[in-house]
Amino acid sequence: MKIIESSKIKEKEYIEKLDNGMTVIVIPKPNLDKKYIIWGTHFGSIDNRFIMPKTGEEVFIPDGVAHFLEHKMFEQPDGTNSLDTLMALGLDANAYTTNDHTAYLFECTNNFYKGLDELMDYVQHPYFTDENVEKEKGIIGQEIKMYDDEPSWRMYMNAMDCMYKKNPIKIDIAGSIESISKITPDVLYKCYNTFYNPSNMIMVVCGNFKPEQILEEIKKRLVKKEEQGEIKRIYPEKETEINMPYKEVEMEVSTPIFAIGYKDIEGAEDKKEIVRKHIAIEILMNMIIGKSSKAYKELYEAGDLLSTPDLDYEFSDEYAHILISGQSKNPDKIQEKIEEVVDKYKKEGLEEDHFNRIKKKIYGDYVVEYNSVGEIARMFLADKMKGINSFDYIEEYNTVTKDYTEEVLKNVFKKENMVMSVVKCK
Amino acid sequence: MSYKKKEIKQGINIHNITTNKFKTNLYAIFLTTPLNRENVTKNALISAVLRRGSQELQSQDKISKKLEEMYGAVFDCGIEKTGDNHVLKFYLEAISEEFLPEKEELAKKCLEILTGIIFNPLIENNGFKEEYIESEKNNLKQIINSKIDNKRTYSIERCIEEMFKNRPYGLYRYGYIEDLDKITPENLYEYYKKLISECKIDIFVSGTIDEEKAIKLVEENSTIQNLNARKPIFAENKEDELDGKEKIVEEHMQVSQGNLVIGMNVNSKEQEDKYVASIYNAILGGGANSKLFQNVREKESLAYTAVSTYRRQKNAIFIRCGIEIGNFQKALETIKKQLEDIKNGDFTDEDINNSKKLIVESIRGISSEQDTEITYYYGQELSGEFTTLEEYMRKIEKVSKEEVEKLAKEININTIYFLRD
Repeated sequence: MKIIESSKIKEKEYIEKLDNGMTVIVIPKPNLDKKYIIWGTHFGSIDNRFIMPKTGEEVFIPDGVAHFLEHKMFEQPDGTNSLDTLMALGLDANAYTTNDHTAYLFECTNNFYKGLDELMDYVQHPYFTDENVEKEKGIIGQEIKMYDDEPSWRMYMNAMDCMYKKNPIKIDIAGSIESISKITPDVLYKCYNTFYNPSNMIMVVCGNFKPEQILEEIKKRLVKKEEQGEIKRIYPEKETEINMPYKEVEMEVSTPIFAIGYKDIEGAEDKKEIVRKHIAIEILMNMIIGKSSKAYKELYEAGDLLSTPDLDYEFSDEYAHILISGQSKNPDKIQEKIEEVVDKYKKEGLEEDHFNRIKKKIYGDYVVEYNSVGEIARMFLADKMKGINSFDYIEEYNTVTKDYTEEVLKNVFKKENMVMSVVKCK
Repeated sequence: MSYKKKEIKQGINIHNITTNKFKTNLYAIFLTTPLNRENVTKNALISAVLRRGSQELQSQDKISKKLEEMYGAVFDCGIEKTGDNHVLKFYLEAISEEFLPEKEELAKKCLEILTGIIFNPLIENNGFKEEYIESEKNNLKQIINSKIDNKRTYSIERCIEEMFKNRPYGLYRYGYIEDLDKITPENLYEYYKKLISECKIDIFVSGTIDEEKAIKLVEENSTIQNLNARKPIFAENKEDELDGKEKIVEEHMQVSQGNLVIGMNVNSKEQEDKYVASIYNAILGGGANSKLFQNVREKESLAYTAVSTYRRQKNAIFIRCGIEIGNFQKALETIKKQLEDIKNGDFTDEDINNSKKLIVESIRGISSEQDTEITYYYGQELSGEFTTLEEYMRKIEKVSKEEVEKLAKEININTIYFLRD
């Protein structure tokens, strides 16, 4: 196995690409009692149009299939459900679907290998019938309604609607009651056979393991699958403009909530460059409206912000945007303030002291992510799905200079790419 | 991992957890005081005002700047209900010195900042700074109003409020808007001084700092040295006598999903029955194998969420489901059927074993999260008896099917709360 070491945080990563194309990553944590395994396929809600490698058939799928498939993977031919089996072993098992991947996982202190048997069995053996697919529609229907009542989710989806015209990131991960009604076992099998091929999958293990030994245990449990060529995913053309600058909706909330976004249309090819850019954006967001910023102090003292907004940069090859979201009785004022600070920094440059201080803070944030097996494993999986090695954030950290960060500020924080989504009080 | 406790003065304890599992050291100070209607809003406001500034670091941005310089150390505070106590919690988390890019001594600084914020607040004219009081009153008002924003947590809060009406535990932890007007910088400071001199104080140091060093660190802190010894005033755990009548509370809001919360009380004063109640709760709604998940969700397809949680300190169990509004009766019947089934012994040894594994596993995991570990030891501290994690697991393992069946007969629905359109 290839070993990558981060001397700064004293962690090692063992990585191996198997003959069948699957990537296995092991991060040993000898001091911890908890063990965590996560197995992901590079198939998320944005992958709704593709060409099946074997048949060459072009497939369009209804919204919400990746998530529906995630629910149905647990079902077994003998009527049992693998989630029940895993939990009966005392394991904390779960699964989730994001825009760009689906993941199956469990955490435990005991019974790891029994859990591994079950996990690797159910992910490799789908069982979909008309009956079990129908039944799931009721459950997922309630999940969709739960999100419908969640103001922050509506705000997020509207922010995506503001930023993108056709990009599938606009699609709700769970789909809609209407779209999931069209899902059949046939659609699920097509997606399964395409995306759950080992060459499209990554497994991450974190905990008290000997890397070579756990790798053998994983290999032993892999079912041989036919090799397939590359999956051609078809996405709409990259958009260079936003869809609309503002969108609002009324809901039963006590104080309005807002998401201010900057669509980032400057794609970068080099993965290390993406990491550097990500670090610079995190520094910038903190300098603009983070806890110690002047803007935050003013807005807090005026009662326009109750706590620091959440700061996010979401990206994949298909989309990239900044999101600053929070709660305020006066979202317009927050947007104006951000614009004002961005303009000021563009004109006058960043203050040296402030920049260095925030850089130190960001370093601490990265180190803290190595506290829990679950966080580590999920981070390595999500980053690897984007072709990034998580250690790069620690390694590239020092190369991010003030000049470079000012450059990123000019390229990404553009007024014409700014949007705002607001959920107002009824 | 090792845990040690030392009383440094009457009513003030240091708890040290030495562990090499984390890249951070976590310092926590908890102030414990009885929950009551008179003080609940004041406590919430105090916690908000203290974080605005101390004598040394007089504003929030000064605190933030200082912490950012220390590689993004994080200060956090919150206010919680633990049994019939109101607990003001203050945390400071900082990277362990061995992971810093340059050598620097952080521990002493961390504790100084934290104790400064709590015990040496910014005082002007014999009161808290007026500007801070005014703006935090407004903020607190918004926080209290924002209770409705998350329908799931709102429904649980409301069910608790109804179930423990006119009792300490029924109070809202952030207090009440109508109480805010009466609070002034001076009378809040008067109350604060009383609180600090009477409350129970627990200081936690978790991380690579060993026992000897941790005790020295705390004992040499001049702010802590200045605190008086006290016979701490706080509420011991005790059960509420709730009447056995079942009441239904319905509330309307603009929602597309109905939120059903059922509050149940466990009528037993036996300490050992708390372990039995944990198992009961796991069988009912603890995980994917539970009766609620299997029947309400998987069989009847009525809900995505169907769970129950056991609040040990109050000996109460809360069931929660998100359902189609028209399915209220059907869901309620399905849930009641599960309760009856457990009473009638209609569950297997396997159910018991699965539940034990689930609980034991979660206990084993406690030491893998720094704040969870602190919360566990704090819970032990308040319960007045000390159960180690090992003993806890042993007691769970010992619970029998007969005990669960017997206790099930003492568990009654008290409040059915339904939030609908």
